[in-house]
Amino acid sequence: MPDLSSHIELEVRDLSHWFGPKKVLFEVNLKIRRGQFLSLVGPSGCGKSTLLRAIVGTHLPRAGTVTVHRPGGKPELVIGPGRDRGIVYQRYSLFPFLTARENVALGLKLDQTSLPFRWLAWPKWRRLRREHLAQADAMLERVRLPDARHLFPQEMSGGMQQRVAIAQAMIMKPEIILLDEPFGALDEATREDLQSMLIGLYQENHHALGRGEHPPLTLIIVTHELNEALYVGDRIVGLSQYWDWRAEGHSGCPGATILYDREAPVFEVKNGRDFEKFTAQREEIRELVFESSPLRPRHRHVNYWPNA
Amino acid sequence: MTIRRPIQPSTSLVLGILSVLVLLGAYTGLAWRQERQNPDDTTIPRWGQLAKGFTSTVEVNRRSNDRWLVADSIASAKRLFSGLFFGVLGGLLIGLAMGCLTPVEACLSPPMSLLAKIPPTAALAVFFVLVGTGDGMYVAMIAIGILPALAVGVHLAVREFPDELLYKAYTLGASPLEIVWTVIFPQVLPKFIDAVRLSIGPAMVYLIAAEMVVGDVGFGYRIRLQSKLLNMSVVYPYLAVLAAFGFVMDYLLRQLQRRLCPWFEGGR
Repeated sequence: MPDLSSHIELEVRDLSHWFGPKKVLFEVNLKIRRGQFLSLVGPSGCGKSTLLRAIVGTHLPRAGTVTVHRPGGKPELVIGPGRDRGIVYQRYSLFPFLTARENVALGLKLDQTSLPFRWLAWPKWRRLRREHLAQADAMLERVRLPDARHLFPQEMSGGMQQRVAIAQAMIMKPEIILLDEPFGALDEATREDLQSMLIGLYQENHHALGRGEHPPLTLIIVTHELNEALYVGDRIVGLSQYWDWRAEGHSGCPGATILYDREAPVFEVKNGRDFEKFTAQREEIRELVFESSPLRPRHRHVNYWPNA
Repeated sequence: MTIRRPIQPSTSLVLGILSVLVLLGAYTGLAWRQERQNPDDTTIPRWGQLAKGFTSTVEVNRRSNDRWLVADSIASAKRLFSGLFFGVLGGLLIGLAMGCLTPVEACLSPPMSLLAKIPPTAALAVFFVLVGTGDGMYVAMIAIGILPALAVGVHLAVREFPDELLYKAYTLGASPLEIVWTVIFPQVLPKFIDAVRLSIGPAMVYLIAAEMVVGDVGFGYRIRLQSKLLNMSVVYPYLAVLAAFGFVMDYLLRQLQRRLCPWFEGGR
């Protein structure tokens, strides 16, 4: 069985970011191991999406680094967006001019072929295209959407669109998938349905571990919903600007940083949602991450790794 | 009546046909009244005179030894489609470059905005001087006339493209060229086709105006000549052909939009 405790998938080191005089993130440090489902929570405007963008590579941090560790490969510093990091946004998650299966197959097309190949080696491209679409159909079945393959995004509900977007990211087999408040615009029932789908994907990780394989999916989900964060993630990280920066000698808040980092209870779909299981932890996060006073030292509740 | 209340397609069709019939009826009444006032008048010809005038345009003319409508159609269509080809291609490429590359946007935005404000018909003399009075002049006039509006339209459509989709394309392994061709272009295409539809009318205006001034064959030339002779029985059929051409072009472009962009709401 792979040694997960030593297998780091992604590492964020001393990451700080600011926009002119506005300080956003300060010395964020985070190590994520393969197969982990990490929930990132924090008050509005604390820089959750900024951190995610730095990891995706679309907006590089002013200071610090993000490194992706591939199994058997050299660690790679993130200097821009790449196919090893998939992303699902709350809005504009799909290309409107492609059907569900074409959206899912787009990554394979972009990654495995080039424009000259598609124009000049057309018969080969046709054969490959058929394979891509078959893989896309299989992926749509995995996210429980086999009947939506020929629908355009505007013909699908918000929940269906997000499922397709997750399938689109997953088909690339990226090292990590980042979900930026993916279910924020959905109704409660659809949210619960999609959360269950994520739990199902998490269970696939466990099955892979049981077979002695590397877990296929590592995920960071940014959410403002604590119940969702605790239900979906096996680890919860709280980012907040409410920490005692004066004690460290700063004259003003240098930005949000990680104030909370602990394991979260692991759920199984068949067991339903026993929210009582994490009531105490939810209250703890609310108090430590979301409340502006009293301010606490930043490292006191960051103890995932010693526990892990 | 409720605003924007939908009606049956059949009702819509009947109303459309009725409005055309009313127009034709009004013309018939006008022609009949004119004939009663002056039987020799040719400014508002009767249907019979119109038919005769139309026949004269498709029969071989004894003096020029050609069929006017055929010769004029070939000459005007050649000029129009050549001008449209260069204008549409140039507008698309410049618009895409402006939307995707900020240095190009900074360079070309001012001249495009200025060019868009100058009516090519007012700059006819400039085209005579720069390109001469051959077919190249018509092509240049149409191309330069429609290009700025098309380029600005494409530029704005590219600017509206959400950043999120751009980033997502990068995470799916796309190169910059792939992003332009595979991701941005398909999304811009329906709006571009709409812009081309809107540019057909101005392109025809530029062509007819130029042909009226320097043409020796073509729709503009024939309309000007026959208008001077008050041969409205020839002029009206020519106008009808122009209207039909514009209608057919618009219909074909809408069909093209529906076929290429079935996802586009405006195309449904």
